[in-house]
Amino acid sequence: MHDVEATVARVLEGVLGAQRGEPAWRRDAKGGMSGWYRLGNPEEIPMVARALAGLEARLSMVSAYLVPSPQNAIGREIAYHFDLDGSTLTLTLELPLEGARVPSLTQVYRNADWQEREFRELYDIEVLGHPNPGRLFVDRSLEPALFERLIPYSTFINGANGERLWREVQAAQEEVAP
Amino acid sequence: MHTCKVPPLPKLRLYRINTGSCNGCDVELAATEAITRFGLDRLGLSFTADPTQADLVLITGPLTVSSREKVLAEYAEVPDPKITVLIGVCPISGGAFRDSYAVVAPLDEFVPVDLNIPGCPPRPQAIVAGIAKAVQLWRGGEHPPVSPGPEEGSLTENLRGRMRYRAEACVGCRICQHVCAGGAIRFDEEEAGLGFTLWHNSCLFCGMCSHYCPTGALAPTREWDLAHRQAEKYRQVEKGVVPRIPCSACGVPMLPVVPELMKKGYRALSAETARLQTLCSECRQVRSLEGVKRCTT
Amino acid sequence: MSRTVITLGPRQLGLEEPMYFRVQTAGDRVAGLEVLAGQVHRGLEHLTLKRNFYQNITLLERLCSLCSNSHPSTFCTALEELAGMVVPPRAEYLRAVADEIKRIASHLFNCAVVAHIVGEHALFRRVMELRETVQQTKEAIYGNRMDLAANCIGGVRYDLDAGRVGYLKSQLEGLKAPLEELYRVFADDPALAAATVGVGVLTREQAQAFGVVGPVARAAGIDYDVREKSPYGAYDRLSFQVAVQAAGDVRARALVRLVEARQAVSLIEQCLDQLPEGPVALMSFPEIPAGEVIAKSEAPRGELIYYLRTDGTDLPVRLKWRVPSYPNWAALGEMLKGEPVSRIPLIVNSIDPCISCTDR
Repeated sequence: MHDVEATVARVLEGVLGAQRGEPAWRRDAKGGMSGWYRLGNPEEIPMVARALAGLEARLSMVSAYLVPSPQNAIGREIAYHFDLDGSTLTLTLELPLEGARVPSLTQVYRNADWQEREFRELYDIEVLGHPNPGRLFVDRSLEPALFERLIPYSTFINGANGERLWREVQAAQEEVAP
Repeated sequence: MHTCKVPPLPKLRLYRINTGSCNGCDVELAATEAITRFGLDRLGLSFTADPTQADLVLITGPLTVSSREKVLAEYAEVPDPKITVLIGVCPISGGAFRDSYAVVAPLDEFVPVDLNIPGCPPRPQAIVAGIAKAVQLWRGGEHPPVSPGPEEGSLTENLRGRMRYRAEACVGCRICQHVCAGGAIRFDEEEAGLGFTLWHNSCLFCGMCSHYCPTGALAPTREWDLAHRQAEKYRQVEKGVVPRIPCSACGVPMLPVVPELMKKGYRALSAETARLQTLCSECRQVRSLEGVKRCTT
Repeated sequence: MSRTVITLGPRQLGLEEPMYFRVQTAGDRVAGLEVLAGQVHRGLEHLTLKRNFYQNITLLERLCSLCSNSHPSTFCTALEELAGMVVPPRAEYLRAVADEIKRIASHLFNCAVVAHIVGEHALFRRVMELRETVQQTKEAIYGNRMDLAANCIGGVRYDLDAGRVGYLKSQLEGLKAPLEELYRVFADDPALAAATVGVGVLTREQAQAFGVVGPVARAAGIDYDVREKSPYGAYDRLSFQVAVQAAGDVRARALVRLVEARQAVSLIEQCLDQLPEGPVALMSFPEIPAGEVIAKSEAPRGELIYYLRTDGTDLPVRLKWRVPSYPNWAALGEMLKGEPVSRIPLIVNSIDPCISCTDR
């Protein structure tokens, strides 16, 4: 169990230097390990990813999000989750709200392709050097960066459909009971 | 004498369209088709992969933005006249996915619908019973539908069918509305009291409402044959009113405290708890404090 | 050699769900593949941010009906971990029972589809009939044939009394011999072997490069199963051997699933035999503090991972998940390269792709 902590610490130190500190590791209720580490700038992510690939780490998932809440964004982050033989290491990268860009990991991890295309169409994040940066899941007729641009729009449409249906339900009841 | 020979009815063909479903209704349709005892064949029905050969269209899923064009083009390929059947609550109301940026359900805004088969997903028996009604529509109601096959091997004791509401057990806490992912439950302040409405066409049959209901006012029934004509779509409701009563001490109108809740709070019912039941929360507090005083002195 | 590009849809691919492919061909062979996703994109991750944790349990169960129990159970595990809740042991076992029963039904459905595609229609019906035993069992115990509604925060919302344990055991008993037989058919039948051996190969190296998971990875020799690598729930007290094959072809994938279906029967039996007494859930409305957490499970199609970020309210700040089908799609290009175009439906279905899971 402590192997993964030591190995990751050594790799991070090798890439980023000794003064940056080690990931915070947590054990879940069953002893499963998750490590949490904050990166300094976008250029570090391909460097660290390359080193982790050397450990046969698997890129498991990439989560982009706004903090603290989508209603009141004050910051933007991307969390890269790697699997190390059952343990999960999350590398978190802070990005600016305006003009956020990250280098593509597709050169290191082939499965970064869809992950990057996905956060690119849901958030205002540019991916540099992606081989095929087109839409993936979101229809072309919809605005890009949906998790951000939809917020004001959604307060307008949210529940609108549901409201209309409920009015129909109500009207049908009034018909039944004159 | 001659024997009256009824010519066999022509076989009707079913065509399926998935508008973006979770695949639940589709997998159940595949089972309905593959398992003979569900009785589709007895209804004189078979599936076709060719929309131009179809008489009945079965549609699943909440219509997504991305699938809309393809779905509508596919639907148009089915020649008129045709009977359109919606399977599962998604095409009927949008189900759990209503109000998403990527979903444009309900489907009746785009195509004329004849019959709805709610459920999430409906069991094959419900699908067949619904399709039987659709066949009846197609054949002008002259031929009564064949009843679906027996419940061979099925145990239906725990079936999560249509929800039932008992106003006399409801305390109006609204937790059912809070946990409902389908937005199927509404409370309205009415003159007579607190009105409760559950729209079955939005219900996901997940039972979260009954699980969290503190007094058992909501419970699933085993009623699973919920298919109905499109004209009945908005009448598929469970309704009730919790009447307000005046507080026996101060007269302010209040929702009655139901015995189920008193049992929870006081473990057993007595003459004293029966008196507390008719008091508003403030008068109850006063009464309880008097009780405490009596105990401590 | 003539090079063309063809577009294939669900009808040509033999899929229950809409997915489209742009296939480059060289003669009658596949030269390249582009997966055109999004038909089933329902904006689910965005919807989860507008729903509270309780609503999200049901919403996530509607993500995909074939692995419908894996989503709410993994989501609940994430919430419980954040809240520091220790789920009662009985609930852990009951969650495993629900997961494994879904695994059997899911694997059998794929097995039936594969039989159908290779033209073994009698086998297709036989597998669907066998699967009906599982469907009926789910309905009898959980009240629905697809969506079990088994999970709540802090445990499960169903229990098994002695009568139901007995019923479940006899249903499982009835599955054993047919599952054995089915494995033998997929392992030995000459017609099936001709259609599946050496077809749609993904090597171990390719599997690793694409980060594939689940039966697709295990069929290529990757010994990885979340239930064994990072046990959750009751799995640290259950025993099973990770199903691994070496060939990386269509047959190997089918065999991994059939081994896992048999193991699932054994896992449920172990659960029933070990089932501890006690409550099935903790208190109903726990406070979920602000934080971030990872939760994982082995869904029928492989590793499922959830990332949850909270702010102390009962709406998520971000709920992100990666389904097992997600990395497996990209590897399809490798499996199809050089294969005859006519084999596309079989190879596509051999990864048991879940489109509603992928598109969300």
